[in-house]
Amino acid sequence: MQSSENPGREAILARIRAALKVPAKISDSPGHLHAGPEAIFAPISDPLERFQRECGANNTELILTKSATEGIATARAILESLPPGEIFIQDAQSVRDAAQSFQGSRALRWSSEGGPRESSQASITLAESLVAQTGSVLISSACGGRGASVAVPVHIVLASIDQLVPDLDAAFARIAERGTAAKNAYLCLITGSSRTADIEKILVMGAHGPKRLVVILTLS
Amino acid sequence: MTTAAQDFLRNAAVKSADLIHRKTIRNSIDHYDSAVVRGRARFQNWEAAREKCQAIKRDGIEHLDRYLEEFESKVNARGGQVFWAENGEQARQYIAALAAKHNVRTISKSKSMVAEEIHLTAALEGKGIEVFETDLGEFIVQLRKEPPYHIVTPAMHLTRGQIAELFKEKLGGIETDDPSMLVAAARAALRRAFFSAEMGITGANFLVADQGLAAISTNEGNADLGVTLPRIHLVLAGIEKVIPRMQDLAILWPVLAASGTGQPITCYNTLVGGPRGANETAGPEEFHVVLLDNGRSELLADPEQREVLHCIRCGACLNACPVYRNVGGHTYNTAYPGPIGSVLTPHLRGLNQFQHLSYASSLCGACTEACPVKIDLHHHLLENRRNAVSDADRPLGERIAFKLWGWSMGGASRFAFLGGVGKFLLRALYGLGIEGTAIDPLRPWTKYRAVPKLAAESFRARWSKNHAVE
Repeated sequence: MQSSENPGREAILARIRAALKVPAKISDSPGHLHAGPEAIFAPISDPLERFQRECGANNTELILTKSATEGIATARAILESLPPGEIFIQDAQSVRDAAQSFQGSRALRWSSEGGPRESSQASITLAESLVAQTGSVLISSACGGRGASVAVPVHIVLASIDQLVPDLDAAFARIAERGTAAKNAYLCLITGSSRTADIEKILVMGAHGPKRLVVILTLS
Repeated sequence: MTTAAQDFLRNAAVKSADLIHRKTIRNSIDHYDSAVVRGRARFQNWEAAREKCQAIKRDGIEHLDRYLEEFESKVNARGGQVFWAENGEQARQYIAALAAKHNVRTISKSKSMVAEEIHLTAALEGKGIEVFETDLGEFIVQLRKEPPYHIVTPAMHLTRGQIAELFKEKLGGIETDDPSMLVAAARAALRRAFFSAEMGITGANFLVADQGLAAISTNEGNADLGVTLPRIHLVLAGIEKVIPRMQDLAILWPVLAASGTGQPITCYNTLVGGPRGANETAGPEEFHVVLLDNGRSELLADPEQREVLHCIRCGACLNACPVYRNVGGHTYNTAYPGPIGSVLTPHLRGLNQFQHLSYASSLCGACTEACPVKIDLHHHLLENRRNAVSDADRPLGERIAFKLWGWSMGGASRFAFLGGVGKFLLRALYGLGIEGTAIDPLRPWTKYRAVPKLAAESFRARWSKNHAVE
């Protein structure tokens, strides 16, 4: 935005700069406890064990498979159990190869054809990484575009073990290393399926996003 | 006393005597408290986490100009636009003009406290635009035509029975108070709004400077739908939301979740910084960020209270506050209730009109202890009291009383003298039987309490008798 269209910009920046000439006075009231020497989070020795445990706690359906072929068969079985309707699917070569086994059994809408439609029954996407610390899936707009992970009742993620990182720090380091944020206008760290506790703090699954988040993790 | 102060006192008296309200809030905060114990237990060192978050926010605020410009240039690089609004009026005008330009009829909006601060929804509705709140709690209070009760749990004050009745009346066809059925009904009602809205408005929990991304946390996934389905996505955020680096979220996200709801991390932590990219076939054509000042740069100029801008709006201080728990969120009559609201509102809306909120605190310090970014909230309330006394006119009686008290604290004998006079007067007056009546000088206090029996002998007298120097 040009400054001529937005005179507020310079006015605000000028006020900020004038204000910051005086250093902040930070009081440290005696009631404040002080941190000891140990790290903020305990180290994660076994990322896969931690990821399994966190997924169990946050309602992610984690399925471990020995091979990609077994993973595809698992995804297919899940699709067959769903009500009739279109499946939204990420258009990537590896997914295209895998999807040959679904073709014919379900109507597929590829992400190259647009976003998921309101009637979509499920989506199948890849992920940027999996985070053991919180049992999360990190996706970006490269994973079938934004909306692929939230506009459908069931989101199925195809991932492999080399995508698992121990913690959020490592996940962000990977994003920085690969320039993921520069290439994508959208990223989302998804932890479990959509939920709300806005009514009497009672947990209800499936608010606006998916009721089910399925991660099919291939170990080889 | 100002009208706002009178309203506060009246509504506080009503709410604190409302036993159903009390029970509902206690139930909700009990749930919260036990979740927070579990949430904090995930940290090996919670205090270190607080200190780290405090340091991150301090870095952001102390270099606010630089980080805002960095954020702006990264958003521009992705084809997004950034508008700087000095006040609510400029922000409302920009958003309304944008909506008019694109012929927007329907907006899906996810939770934004800044939108409450500038009364955005009412302004857009005034232009004939339908605005749907998509966070379930916000949707419920919108149907009731009420402001949010709490910054994280907007419908905290309502029972499921009340929500069931509301849905039955407004949405129709609902004959249950089962929360999962109520959620399903809201989901169905809002599904249409999501898919028909031309514009999505969201807030932001953080603005990430080094990547030019707005970070938005929701459990429901409503913000993700709002940034995906409409043709235009607009982020409305205060200038103080900026943090230096994306890496900072590795600690801010878990800490926000632990303090906000007690969760390990919120379900959907979304980062968005532009319109539909080259690798997307869906998503908005336009992406706008409105950066709102609205008094924040003035607060920045107060070195003593600058750290109030570190607030991440987790709501922990509200839940911890014995005053909030009793008088309830609506009594404050401000966009930001509870301790943080009591500190912040006088800065945003004038000390004269809102100084009474500085007294809506027992100064117990529970808010300061709960604050995940270590804002010294109760001391800021004290500072506001001090500033109110020097800035605003206090009643003559109060000024005399404090002058006298100040004089008496200057020496032990003066203190003893004043104490003796006070005791004598009180005995004399209460001897006439005026205790608790309309002419009792201690009426504001004795209205609800019995005066303890005055001791025959002062503490000083007893001390000198029992500890007489040999």
